[in-house]
Amino acid sequence: MNRTETQRDARHVRRAGHIAAALVLAQAVGMRPAWAQETPARPVTIQPAPAAPAAAGTQAPQPAIRWEKTFPQIGSGKWTGHRLPDGQPDIQGDWSNSIANHDNFTDPQGGTPGDPVRRKRPLGPRAERAPSRVSYPADGQVPFQPWARAKQQELAAGFWNATRQEYVEPLARCYPAGIPKSFTWHGFEIRQFPHYIVFLFNSGTRIVHLDGKQHLPANIKLWNGDSRGHWEGNTLVVDVENNNSKARFGRTAEFASENVHVQERYIFDNAGRRFNYEATFTDSTVYTQPWTATIPMRRYVAGDPQDGWHYEVPLANHPGKELIADHVERPCIENNGPFGQVAIPKK
Amino acid sequence: MRKRWSLRLERPATMVAASLLLASVLLAGTAAAADRIPRLNGKPDFSGIWQTTSAADYDLEPHSTRKDAPPSAGIVVGSVIPYLPAALEQKKKNFAARDTSDPRLKCWTLGTPRGIYYPEPFQILQRPEDLTVVFEFGHSVRTIHNNGTLHPTEKNQYWLGDSRGHWDGDTLVVDVTDFEDETWLDRAGNYHSEDLHVVERWKLLDANTIDYRAAIEDPNVFSHSWEIEVILYRHREQDFQLIENYCFTLDNDKYYPLPAAQ
Repeated sequence: MNRTETQRDARHVRRAGHIAAALVLAQAVGMRPAWAQETPARPVTIQPAPAAPAAAGTQAPQPAIRWEKTFPQIGSGKWTGHRLPDGQPDIQGDWSNSIANHDNFTDPQGGTPGDPVRRKRPLGPRAERAPSRVSYPADGQVPFQPWARAKQQELAAGFWNATRQEYVEPLARCYPAGIPKSFTWHGFEIRQFPHYIVFLFNSGTRIVHLDGKQHLPANIKLWNGDSRGHWEGNTLVVDVENNNSKARFGRTAEFASENVHVQERYIFDNAGRRFNYEATFTDSTVYTQPWTATIPMRRYVAGDPQDGWHYEVPLANHPGKELIADHVERPCIENNGPFGQVAIPKK
Repeated sequence: MRKRWSLRLERPATMVAASLLLASVLLAGTAAAADRIPRLNGKPDFSGIWQTTSAADYDLEPHSTRKDAPPSAGIVVGSVIPYLPAALEQKKKNFAARDTSDPRLKCWTLGTPRGIYYPEPFQILQRPEDLTVVFEFGHSVRTIHNNGTLHPTEKNQYWLGDSRGHWDGDTLVVDVTDFEDETWLDRAGNYHSEDLHVVERWKLLDANTIDYRAAIEDPNVFSHSWEIEVILYRHREQDFQLIENYCFTLDNDKYYPLPAAQ
């Protein structure tokens, strides 16, 4: 019954073929929201992607993915953009982080230490790459307690040679990437509803409750935690408890414990093209002080080029000329036969 | 004497009048219930958290009690699933091996329509252009596209199928194709091939009740189309919410997370 990897790849090829065909057909520009009518801001500096395999264990060649080295700050303030009928700022659609994948949490464009695949060119000075995702404290490092730093380094060292089950990065088993790693694993979609904001990741789905109800009982622990949010102008503020902390922050194995409390701020620019994700992690059992992660995001819209990573959304099949993004099942949402089958040692 | 007589005379008339009154109230009540269904842009709004109380997932067909299933008259219209002869043999094999072979035991995505009548809640989040269906079991997500788009031109294989909906009055009709063949329809081993084709009809009977029907066809497995019908109830408990159930992670639970402090 189990489908082979070849069959799975063939399925992706079929989907890719459909995407290509749709792109050829998609010349006409129909009705588009304001933020889609102008050319989106491009990264200041463009460089080839660090190794960003779509799936651990598969060797399919990856298209070049564009990453920026710097990104604009976005201030919290009023929302002057489009609103939904329930009054929420309209932030629906497709997004992806603009600097790097999950290879390395604190040196996002530096690749994963110990990667057996030789780099095509030397890494160069640290200052030439995007800053650490740890925006506070200023040294760009997660302020681990000594035991936790030692554990993180042990796990990171074990990543390329998983001699123990706990060295297998949970996402390699196609388990949910959790917070904040989901934001650095392929593009994602935001859907909004009265009382809810839903994030559809390639590695799980997250529902943010906006209706003010209390968190779940503390002994319930979840891969994506339990999220309660509200809007403050252009900023979505989300309080996350009940985190099972099984997910890691990157291939460099930074982590939290089940006691972690995360306060997220999603700060949207009023043009609707970008947002910055800022999350403060507080966990006195793992860290010496609270610290903040910052991950910049940019929007993608129907008709944007498919790049196999940030934006993989095909155009819908329909008789009209309007470009409609078609949101199909996401590879890791289903998790039936995860790619982890090949990432995990057979023994 | 006269009073009693009077009562005897008047009683039938009173009862008729009361009956008429009651009937009109009931009729008005029924009409009001249909009128009071929640709506979004004028169409029925299915937003909410729903669950069946039926035993459908144990076995879609009628069955007596057994160790692993409560008795049930089933939800198959006409009671019997019209298997082709060879497929019926496969179904019997599946049934015999159900304790180990049911994909749900691996927490695999349940498929369509099984996710709908599986005994765990699912949430519908509705926009005018689509319905997002999030299943607690496996936290899998199905999008019912309701924006006039068609199935993709090339065949795909999705666990939950490719769903395209349209309105037939107040009924949401959803055409579902492009399936995997790795899901079952229930715990009794009823199954399908990649050529499964499901046409769902979703209708709100009142604000808190959905009448869910699905026509199922698969030329590789069934001799002709057949139907199921099941009622779904809204969860009305205060602050009820889905609790993500990524049960496929449980086999390796012991390796994660790390101890909080050492």
